[in-house]
Order: sequence, then structure tokens, then C-alpha cells
Amino acid sequence: MRKLFFVVLVVALAVSMALPAVAQDEFVFGMVLVGPQNDRGWSQAHYEAGQYVEANLPGARMLVFESLNPADAPETTLLQVATEMVDQGAKLIITSSDAFEEDTDVVAEAFPDVVFINSSGDNAFTGEAPANVGNTMGQMEWGKLIAGCAAGLTTETGSIGYLGPLINGETRRLAASAYLGARYCYENYKGGDPADLTFTVTWIGFWFNIPGVTLDPTAEVNTFFDNGADVAMSGIDTPEVMTVAGQRAGRGEAVHGVAYDYAAGCDVSPEICLGSPYFNWGPSYLDIVSRVKDGTYTQEWTWFGPDWADLNNPDTSGVGFVVGDGLSEENAQHLDDFIASLAAFAADHPDENGIPTAIALWEGPLALQDGTVLAAEGEVVKPIEKDNPLTIWYLPQLLEGMVGASE
Amino acid sequence: MCASGAGLHPPLIIYGRVSSVSAYIFLRWVANMEIELQHIHKRFGRVHANNDISLKLHGGRIIGVLGENGAGKSTLMKILSGYQPADSGSILIDGQKAGYHGPQAAIAAGVGMLQQDPLDVPAFTVLENFLYGQPASMTRRAARSDLAKISHEFGFHLDPETPAARISIGQRQQLEIVRLLTLGVRTLILDEPTTGISAQQKTILFDALQALARDQGMTVLLVSHKLEDVIALCDEVVVLRAGCLVGERAMPATKAELVRLMFGQDIAPQERSAGSLGEIVLKLDSLTIQDRRVRVETLSLDVREGEVIGLAGLDGSGQEALMRACVGLTPVVGGNVVLKDRDLTRRSYRERMRAGLAFSAAGRLEEGLVAGLTLTEHMALMDSERTMIDWPGVRDITRRQIERYNVRGRAEDRIEMLSGGNQQRWLMALLPEQPRVMILEQPTRGLDVDSARWVWQLLLDRRAHGTAIIFNSPDLDEIVTYSDRIIVFFAGRFHLIEDASTATVEVLGHLIGGNFEEAAR
Amino acid sequence: MTDNRTPLRILLLIAPIVLSLAITAILVLAVGKNPLEVMTAIWEGAFRNSNAVAGVVNFWIPLTFACLGLVITFTAGLWNIGVEGQMMLGAVFASWAARTLTLPSPVLLPLEIVLAMLGGAFWGFLVGFLRVRLGVNEIFGGVALNALANVLVIYLISGPWQPPEGGSAQSTPPFPAESLLPEISSEFPVSLLALFLIVIIVAAVFLALRGTRWGLNLKATGKNPRSALLLGVPTTQSALSAFVICGAIAGIGGAYRVLFTFDSLRPLPSGGIGFLALLVVLVVANRALLAPIVGFVFAAILAGSTRLRVVLQLDQSLAEVLQGFVVLLVLMANGLRGRILGGPGAESSIQPEPQAQPTVTTAAEATTHE
Repeated sequence: MRKLFFVVLVVALAVSMALPAVAQDEFVFGMVLVGPQNDRGWSQAHYEAGQYVEANLPGARMLVFESLNPADAPETTLLQVATEMVDQGAKLIITSSDAFEEDTDVVAEAFPDVVFINSSGDNAFTGEAPANVGNTMGQMEWGKLIAGCAAGLTTETGSIGYLGPLINGETRRLAASAYLGARYCYENYKGGDPADLTFTVTWIGFWFNIPGVTLDPTAEVNTFFDNGADVAMSGIDTPEVMTVAGQRAGRGEAVHGVAYDYAAGCDVSPEICLGSPYFNWGPSYLDIVSRVKDGTYTQEWTWFGPDWADLNNPDTSGVGFVVGDGLSEENAQHLDDFIASLAAFAADHPDENGIPTAIALWEGPLALQDGTVLAAEGEVVKPIEKDNPLTIWYLPQLLEGMVGASE
Repeated sequence: MCASGAGLHPPLIIYGRVSSVSAYIFLRWVANMEIELQHIHKRFGRVHANNDISLKLHGGRIIGVLGENGAGKSTLMKILSGYQPADSGSILIDGQKAGYHGPQAAIAAGVGMLQQDPLDVPAFTVLENFLYGQPASMTRRAARSDLAKISHEFGFHLDPETPAARISIGQRQQLEIVRLLTLGVRTLILDEPTTGISAQQKTILFDALQALARDQGMTVLLVSHKLEDVIALCDEVVVLRAGCLVGERAMPATKAELVRLMFGQDIAPQERSAGSLGEIVLKLDSLTIQDRRVRVETLSLDVREGEVIGLAGLDGSGQEALMRACVGLTPVVGGNVVLKDRDLTRRSYRERMRAGLAFSAAGRLEEGLVAGLTLTEHMALMDSERTMIDWPGVRDITRRQIERYNVRGRAEDRIEMLSGGNQQRWLMALLPEQPRVMILEQPTRGLDVDSARWVWQLLLDRRAHGTAIIFNSPDLDEIVTYSDRIIVFFAGRFHLIEDASTATVEVLGHLIGGNFEEAAR
Repeated sequence: MTDNRTPLRILLLIAPIVLSLAITAILVLAVGKNPLEVMTAIWEGAFRNSNAVAGVVNFWIPLTFACLGLVITFTAGLWNIGVEGQMMLGAVFASWAARTLTLPSPVLLPLEIVLAMLGGAFWGFLVGFLRVRLGVNEIFGGVALNALANVLVIYLISGPWQPPEGGSAQSTPPFPAESLLPEISSEFPVSLLALFLIVIIVAAVFLALRGTRWGLNLKATGKNPRSALLLGVPTTQSALSAFVICGAIAGIGGAYRVLFTFDSLRPLPSGGIGFLALLVVLVVANRALLAPIVGFVFAAILAGSTRLRVVLQLDQSLAEVLQGFVVLLVLMANGLRGRILGGPGAESSIQPEPQAQPTVTTAAEATTHE
């Protein structure tokens, strides 16, 4: 059996020796995705950002490896994938998930001449990562504030369901941001009592559905609606929230959904979609790839934000929000006002060294679920600080007022 | 008489599809079916099961097919009935070459076989089983009337609504015969049809077969080891030996003549031998047994060393339940099983074996032997003490046992490569040398006269050394011949015959039909 | 059977491989790529240098452990789908030792392996217990326990064993270096200890199935539990022990994943390798000595396809398609061989089907009587 395999492959080798050579001014970079490149979510956003780089940086060529996770590709590891990419001439490898955070550091040690960017990680901030590893992340908190606002404006039952992936600092702070936005708009535009607002978070256990391992997102979204929620927000990588909300609306129910993570997230069920906050990794990646190509990149940790002048500008805004058709005209007006107030806040608190100094609505009085004071009246919650868990980035629990597990 | 029939046959099948009953009645007037086998060869591995067999079978006659175990009878019948293809050779029906494959096609060509264990669906009712294989156009009503009509004609008792699982083997045979007849079968093959049926059912069966052959011109092929049956029923016999056709003769013939034809030598009839009985070895103390089919209430029995207890009864009347309860395979509801003062009632099968019981089941490949294992591997399984298997040692023992039990097979053959008779011999060869009590389900199942006698010789040797034997058999002759005491079962009830020498096959035949009161007189 | 049919045998062995390569080639052509390039990429991905070979070997090692365990349960006629969970429990137990015990490597590593075997055996025992005592089919029991095992892993990663900076549910903190299996060299990063264990276990499984009463008991139980029981085989015990031993061996595979492939406990540490092992064992039809070889071919195709995906940017499923065809066609060839060359059953007038596959229904029936 092996012998035959050998013979066939040797013949194959002999016949086709034409290996792709790296062209003169070509710059090859690798893009490692945790999910499929067409997942209409996290991985697709990265994939498209890579295509954006290819389109905007002459000579840039992307090598993609999708679905690198133990379930889909047990036969390979980040090290093997990186080896193959470097073999093909890659000078930069983007590992686009926190699933790769630890391995990226280890693999980077093996290829000191190659730059590794782990998206959403913070090891370059904490100093754990080797010198050739950088991090980048978007200030999705703004996007979630807007998304939460749209939900708070729309809910009639005063009950919102938030479908979270697994539980960590990132997912907690995003769920909390959505809650803050919802609470603010429910109170200030809709005139509701924030105490009447129910904001329920259900964690499915992973970024996407793994049958038998995670909770079934479809079932969980249905549970939201069955239990009285009329708006469901997605915090996971795949579009079950929009699918289910669309189906139920199709049966005549007055329900809406908020998408996540993908600019075209509303396309699944446009008529009931309130909007979709999304990362636009393109500008950040273009910036990083250009600097690596020029040899001017040094290790950094960036937390890039939206372009308040033009939230959905693909060339300038790192975090965007597409307003959905499901939002009423009146509420869309309110949402515009809200966005304008956020922009004003951001203008007052400009980023320093690619890191925000404050995020709107993350102001006291705020407490964690167990009552720990996060910020007293008049205080602002710090976005990130080394070894300080009581920051937005490291948010250790959900906020007081939210329903759902914190860990 | 036959030549003109050649062109007639195919149209009849078409009639048969239109309405089976009318075809069946119409067939009574048409020419008899003539079958000719030409140079049939069939090999299984190195065994030449059918070696150049050429044979003419005439309609209107009952033909006995004789031969010792492994002679090739079953193979030849399976080829004729489409269950197996021949390696070479051809079958001519009414002078035309029949190229059918599979039993359905054979039935369409007019040849049907009644298996030893009729192939019905136990969960279906009699009527549903009857409908199976009939043209789709046949309604339940028509089927019911056909079934009733033919049953009545032959004196069969078949209730259309009873599940097949609940009727006796004899009735299942009757059902299958009716079904095959309705399908237009003109040649009926029966494999050991008198095994496991009562005397009354046997009479009904024989009458029916005679009517079919004499009055309706059908060909009946009877494969049987029971020479009495052959003598009573057949017009002629064909004899196979080691795959070859060695004799054809017209009846009548004596039993001795038939035996000589089969074995090429005379075999003296078995003598009843009364062994000397020792102490009580197995005590069954008011056992109440419940299995899926039957409940046996408070049965008590003391079995002595060297005693042979024969259990008679129709299939599922309680005899199997009793034997299995003794070895722990069927749950005991009440009472005790005591072997030499040791209460085994709550012990597992394996503990009972270690305590001195030995058991062999009737199922062979289903229950008893493991298809896929070699003879040597079977032998190795019997030595449960060692961790490592001493293969050369086991092989030696295996070869010795093969020789001793006259098994046609090699140590490295897988058990399913052996013929049924040889499998039975190997089952016997696996039994321990000197157990206290041997419990044997149908120890000579499928064996020819000679082999059966010879197995009994080995069993009786053990008995002479004090082993007690409890066995059952559908062959009442066997029970009468070898038992010291006999228990007859009927639907869970039982009747003990204290002195087996007073019993006859006729008496037992009535008893297994349930006439306990009559016999008690 | 060393007769004139030997060429036919060889043909039946080679034909499925050639055919599946051909079918895959057609598929590749259909998507507009060059099949030769595809084969080249797989070959290079698997064998172009010692590092690539190490990649193959590192996938092959846990696969082979799972296969060797499964050879045992298959022999006993049991579909041990639960092998995934058994690997995961091995990974969990080894992880516990690795993160809890501070001992020198020569003591710690064997301890981790032993614990992994215990963990796998424990999970195997559960499947077996459900099967023989409660009559739960081992396929259903196995699937349930697989899911449960991964829930346990995720709980540990995101709960008690989460990194100090907060759980990301991606892994535990890396284990200390002395608790990890050392690699032979950086050119050939493979664990020598694991290779050594494979050799021992291949030999042990082969000998146990061939030369011991226990192995024969398993074989008899697998082929006909009813008869085996009547012949004095403790069928319940046999089935249970098969699960336990399989679990123990598969547990080492799980340990290898966390102590070498990774350096920490990750979600789904078994990664579906157990399911792949089921396919391998189907192909080799229970032959312990063949399992590592066929497993290597599978590992080479799959690990080699990493390069295929990077170089040709082809969909990952291509290698799986190739592998699927190999399995299917080999199984078909096995069936054909049974018919043409007279495998089990073909020479018998009584036995209807070759018993290549385990019978699922009968074992429970037989065991209830003991």
C-alpha cells in the first residue's frame, strides 16, 4: 500500500516540478482562521480583510488556512501550518483567534524572522509574547453599545436575550457593553424604567455550534423568544440568532434580531434586523502588513476604534455598525442621536498610542454581579491597565442588572 | 406422457399468477412434471459435495433421497430448489433447460423446498405468512379462502389469525406446503419433515404427500434419515454417498437393504443396554420454570449415576426449559437444583459446569459452536485454566479428537466449513470426558443412523463410568432405545414413565400430543 | 491458500488504492486543479524533510494507540465509538498529573502515562458497564460518554484549571516542561517514549489476541456470544475487559495529545482521532499488526494535506474525500475477496454472511444469562 503510494507520488513529483516561486516584489502573508472562511462571521471578516490587503497593497499575496481547530483538523497544528506558510515565503502570519494565542507565542519562537499577529490577544501588552508577536483588536465595545441601544429602543416586552459564546473577559465586556447601550436607550429615548429591562445572557460554550459539545444556538434563541424576549442579540460567530428571529417573524411574531461580527450580518433576515456591529480588520491589517513589508514594524498591542466621521468607511473605520431595515424610522433617528453622543464622548477622550482612554457609558455608578463596585458615581472605568482586573478589557464578571452566568 | 408437457409448462405459471387456486385445480389434469439433473457438480473448498450427479425424477412419485451425513443430499436439494447454484451441470424441467437463480425463481419454475426449519416470519399470522410471496393482486379474502380450501382438503388445521410463533413445527410445515402449492409448485422437496412433529401430525403429513403424488401427479422428494418413514412412503429411492450417486431402486425394500445401500455394509440394530445405577447425583426439587414459551410447575426428579433420562415432547413443550434450567440458562422461579449435595440454583452457567454439569445445545452454529473459529480454537476454549494457550498441545488434542470422533475436517478448518453431521460430532467431541451429568439437546440431530449409533456408543461409555445423561430428541425411537426413564412434556405439563422398557414409539407419539390421561390408564 | 489466486489477492489489495487515487484525481480535475500537483503537495507535506515526517508521526502516534485499543473491542464484536471519550479522559488524567505533581521527569512521565491509562480504562469501563449490566448499546453509551468527556474538559479549562489571567476556554496554562514528553531532536520532534510504547503495545495486543485464553475468549464472544457462553467463555467479563483495555490504550493516545502535541489541555483533545481509528480498524479488519501501517498511510495523507491546503489553497475536504474513498473501496474489496476467494462463510452451505463486522445485538442477549 505504501509502496504504491510512494511510486505514484514519485512519478507525480518528477512530472510536476513547477513550484510557485516568490516573485520579486511579492509579499506573502499567512492568514490562519479558526473557522471556515465563509462563516458569515468572525473568520470571514478576517478573510475579507486579507483580501482587502491584497487589493490595496501591491504585491501582497495571502495564504489562507481555514478551520484550524482540533475538531476539524486534528491532524495538523499551528506549527505545521506556519511551517508550510513560511515555506511558501510568508513573512507575516496572522493568527486570527484567541484560540491561537498561546500557540502563536510558541510557534513564533521557532520563526524569529517572521512576524506573527494574534488578533484579539493581549500577550504583547502583558509582555508574555516573544518580540516578533504583536496583537491587534478592535474597540467592539462601541459597536455593542450601538447594537444594545437598537435593541433597547425596539423591545416592547422589555426583555432582551443575548447569545454569548464562551465566557471570558472579551465576551463579558462585549455583553456588558450591549447591556449598557440597551439600558441607556431604553431609559432615555424610550422612557422606560431600567429596572423593568431584563437582559439575559446565555453562553453556548464556544464561538460556534459544535453539536453535542455546545448548547444548540438555535434552541437557545428559541428559548429567549419563548420566555418573553422580543429582541435577541448575537454574540457568537454564526448567524443562528438572525435565522431563528427571521423564522419566528415569518410566523407573525413581533421579534427582532441584532447580528454580530459581519457587515452583511443582516442579509440573513433583513426585515427584522436591527443592525449589525462588525469588525473591519482591513485598515488595521493593511497598516500592519505595510509596516512589516517595509521593515518598520515593531512589537505593539493595538486596540483600534471606529471612525466617528464615517462609521462604515471601509478604509478608515475599524469598527462599524450597519443599521438594519428592522429598525423603525423613529428609532433610527434616536440611534443616530445616540451615535452622535458617543462620537462626542470619543472626541473628548481620544485614544493614546492606539489604546482608548475611556469608553462611553462605562461610567459610575457601576457594579459587578456580585456587588463589587466597578466605578463609583462620577468615576470612569479604565479601558485596560496591567494587572488590574477592574477594567473593561479584563472585566471579571457581568454587570449588576444583567441575568446570566459570569463564569 | 412427458414429452408433450414441454410446451405446456410456461403458460401454466401465467395462469398461476392470475388465480392460484384455479391454476392449482387446473394443474390436476395436466401432464406430470419431469425433472432431469445432468452432471451436477458442486464443491465447497476441497470437499466435492456433488460429484457428477445425473438423475431423472418422474412426476407422480414419492422419491426418497438417502445418504449418510455429508453425502451431499442437502446440497443437491438446495441446487434443485435454487438456494445454491451448481458449479456446473444443468437442470432440465420437462426437457427444457431451467436456468433459475434463487428460490423464488425455482418456485416460479415449479420447484419448491420445505426446509427442516420452515422459513416463516414468527411475528406474522398464518395468513400473513401465507400471503408472503403471493402475487400482489391477491386479496386477504381470497387468500383466506384459498388457505381454508386447501387446508380442508388435506385435513390441515391452520387458524389464519394465529401468529406463526405460536403454532407447532408440524403446523408450520403444513402452512408452508399450502403456500408452495398455491404458488404453483409441482415438485415438492421435504428435508427431514418428520423431525419434531407428533404421531398424529405425521399421519396427516403422509396422507397429504401421498394424495399429492398419487392423485395430482406431483413429484415429492423426501430427504430423511428415518428409514421407517422412507419405507412407509416412498415409491423409489436414490442413494448418495460421498457426493456420488451410488444407487437407485424401486421400493419396497427392507430397512437392512436400505442400510446396505447407504453404507455399503450391514449395521446391526442397537441393543437396549441397562446400565447399573449408582447414587443420586442430581436432585431437582419441585422446580418451577418459566421461559418465553412455557411454564413448568413443580417438577421433582432424582437422577442417579449412570442413569439416562429421555425427554420427549413437541418443540417448546417444556423439555428444553427443564434442561436449560438445570444449567442455569433459563430462570428458575421456584425450587432447587442440587448436584451432589451442592445447591446450584443460584449459580451461573460457568459455575455449574465447573461443578460437574456438561451441556450441549441443539443450535450448533447458532448456539454451541462459533462460526469463524477453527476446530483447534474450539478445543482451546475448553481448557479454561491456563492464561497462555499451548497451541501445539491443543492441536494435538484436536487431532486426537478428530480421529476419535471420526470428524471429517482438519484441525485448522473453521467449524462452519464442516457439514452439519460433522459439526454435531465436534460438539460431542468438545464435551468433557467425565462430567457428573451431561445435559444434551438433541445429541444426534442431523446424524445418519450409523453416526447416531456411534455417538451413542461414546455417550454410553461415559455412562458406564457413572455419568448421568439427560437428553431430548424429536426422534421418539431414540428416546425409547436409550432411556432408563422418560419424561413426556406437553405444554408445560409432564408425565413420567418410570420404566422406559415398557414404552413404545406409538405410546410416546400419543403422549406428546397431550393424551396423558389416556396413557395413564 | 497459497495457490494460483495469489495475484487476485494482491489485485484486490491494490485496486482500491489505485481506484481511490483515480477518483480523487478526477475530482481535482473537476475543480480545475492539477492532480499531480495535489499528490505532490501531499507527498511533500508528509515527507519532504524530517520535520514534515515528524508532523505525520505525531498524528500517527495517538491514532495508532486508538487503533490498537479498537482492535481489541472489535475482536470482541463491540463498536467502541466511545474511544474518543476514552482518549479525552486519558488526556484529563495525564493533565491532572502534569499540572499537580512536582516530580522529576523520569518519575512523572511514567506516572502520567499510567494515570492516562486509568482514566481511559475508567471511561471504557463505564461504556462496558452500561452495555453488559444495563443493556445500553455501546454505540449510544459511547456517544453520550464522548460528549460528557468533552463537557468535562471544557469545564476544567474554563473553570478550575483556567489560566490565572482568566479563562478563554481555549486551554489550561501550559504544563511545566518536566511534565511534557521530550522530543528526540528539534529536527525530528517526536517522542521516543511514545514510539517505544507503541512497539510494546503492538506486540502485547498481537500476542494477547493470538496466544492467550483471554484473546480467544474475546474472539469467540465477538463471533457468537451465545455459543461462546455455552462453551464456557465468561462473555460479560470478556466484553467488559475489552472496553477497559481498549480505554487504557486509547488513554495513552489522549495523554500524547496533551503532553506532546499540545502542552496543555485543550477542548476536544482527542480531535476526532478516535473516529478515524474506527475507520482504520475497519480497513484492517482487526489485524493488530496491520493497524499501525494503515494508520500511517492515513496519517500521511491527512498531515500531508496541510501543505496541500497552504500551497494550492484547496479545500480541506479533498484529503478527507481521498481517505473516504480508500476506506470505502478497501471495504468493498474485502467483501469481494470474501466472495471470490472463499472467505469465512463462502465455503459453507450454512453460514450466510462473512462475519467481518461485529454483531451488536447478540452480545447483550448472551450476557444477560450469566
